Amino acid sequence: MTTCDYCDQDAVYHDVQIKNGVHKTQNLCKQHATEAGFLLDSADLSIVLNIGESDLPSKSTAVACSDCGMTIAQYKEKSLLGCPTCYETFKNKLKHIIAEVQDNHLQHIGRAPSSEGVDVNRHLEVLRLLKKLDKAVNQEEYEQAATLRDQIRELHDGGELHEN
Amino acid sequence: MAASYMKIDPIKNCPFNRDDSPFGDVVLSSRARLARNLDGFPFVHRSSSSDCKEVSSLIKQICDHQPDDATLEWVNLDELDAQSTELFVERHLVSSDLANATHPRAIAVGPELSRSVMVNEEDHIRIQSIRPGLQLDEARKDVEALDIRIEEVIAYAFDEQLGFLTACPTNVGTGARFSVMLHLPALRIIKDLQRVRNACEGMSLAIRGYQGEGSKAIADLYQVSNQVTLGYTEEQLCSIIANDFLPPVIEWEREARKSVASNQYSKLEDQTHRSFGLLKSARMIKLHEAMQCLGNIRLGICLGLIDSIEIKTINKLFIEIHPAHLRHLYGIDTPDAEICSLRSDLLREKLTE
Repeated sequence: MTTCDYCDQDAVYHDVQIKNGVHKTQNLCKQHATEAGFLLDSADLSIVLNIGESDLPSKSTAVACSDCGMTIAQYKEKSLLGCPTCYETFKNKLKHIIAEVQDNHLQHIGRAPSSEGVDVNRHLEVLRLLKKLDKAVNQEEYEQAATLRDQIRELHDGGELHEN
Repeated sequence: MAASYMKIDPIKNCPFNRDDSPFGDVVLSSRARLARNLDGFPFVHRSSSSDCKEVSSLIKQICDHQPDDATLEWVNLDELDAQSTELFVERHLVSSDLANATHPRAIAVGPELSRSVMVNEEDHIRIQSIRPGLQLDEARKDVEALDIRIEEVIAYAFDEQLGFLTACPTNVGTGARFSVMLHLPALRIIKDLQRVRNACEGMSLAIRGYQGEGSKAIADLYQVSNQVTLGYTEEQLCSIIANDFLPPVIEWEREARKSVASNQYSKLEDQTHRSFGLLKSARMIKLHEAMQCLGNIRLGICLGLIDSIEIKTINKLFIEIHPAHLRHLYGIDTPDAEICSLRSDLLREKLTE
């Protein structure tokens, strides 16, 4: 059985999210799933396949961030948000908090990432290749690992994308 | 492993080795820091171990491909021994929280240990630059150059309205924290530090002790930084500290030094030489006492009472007398009980050269 992402207990909550083409899996034990805002009171909730940001809404996730499961109560414990999407999820509540800590400023006027520079596709391609590289190294397929490493290097040096 | 860090000698690699320290009589150092997060990942405290590893390998790839004049050495903190990690803490390159954490985390450091990228702290990335004296705008340019090279490859979590999205809303917007370390002994002597505190309050700046958040002032060293990160440009945030706050504060401290030198000369002379004598004679000394004596000597040097020691020697000693630096110099296995005597050995050696 898969173990929890945060401890050694068996995971009873399994979540797969696909956002911008990136797969993110989450495996949680009963305690951590409850803490994350997923109420696991029946066995049929043991597998939740959550695709995209708003598919399969349920009462357990309605008050939690759709991406990371954070609740506003959890935010208040540490004053830390769970993920970038939390800013959208808790927009109204955060507006007051941000105004208070930022001297009533609510509009960013500083530097923004250069739109020409940011290449999300390249970012995702690097992520995909890194995962493959990890797998290849674990399986001791060093020849393939070397090829993947060269491809990643080329992406960073501004080379063409490689299709596999 | 520890060996990967030891390639950079922390004693030889120190921003205080340089001679350029603008306004160095009052401003010890300037620091710029940018907080950034990667789009598509939870923030660090909600990340699984595999998320942290993924972020770390991605940033490593970027750090490994820096231009030749801006190379960064990668150090996995979860593989590093406690002693070497503590060295980074003493250099203000790694926070105590990050040092004590157990998740996959790393730091990439440049020559002089002045530029660094902290990975998987409260935010995925914290880009930092420390420079001697008042060089806040130069430090801002250092971190911006690194930031631009990173954003060419990865997508940051960014919102048109709120700017760079950070785990804590106190960093949202520019994600920028600019700070200066000030030496204000004369304002303390004439009991006029409240003026500096009032100036900070009026400009939304925070004033803290040597170790940052929650720390007390030692050796009359104070860290001043911006509290607000949203609604201003990075240049404006820098300018509030460098052009609005600092010029009058530097003037107040210099005036206070002149006043102490003319009105309380005997007391000042006694304090300077008593501290100098103590550090040149002691055979065991605790950190706090040594720091305060160094601060007193620093004031004496600035007022011309001691001319055999340079200010930069004192600036370096403020760092080198910390336990991990002493262990680096004298041997990693030094027991705690011997640290005080090693500290006094180092001080005697450096102050009688």
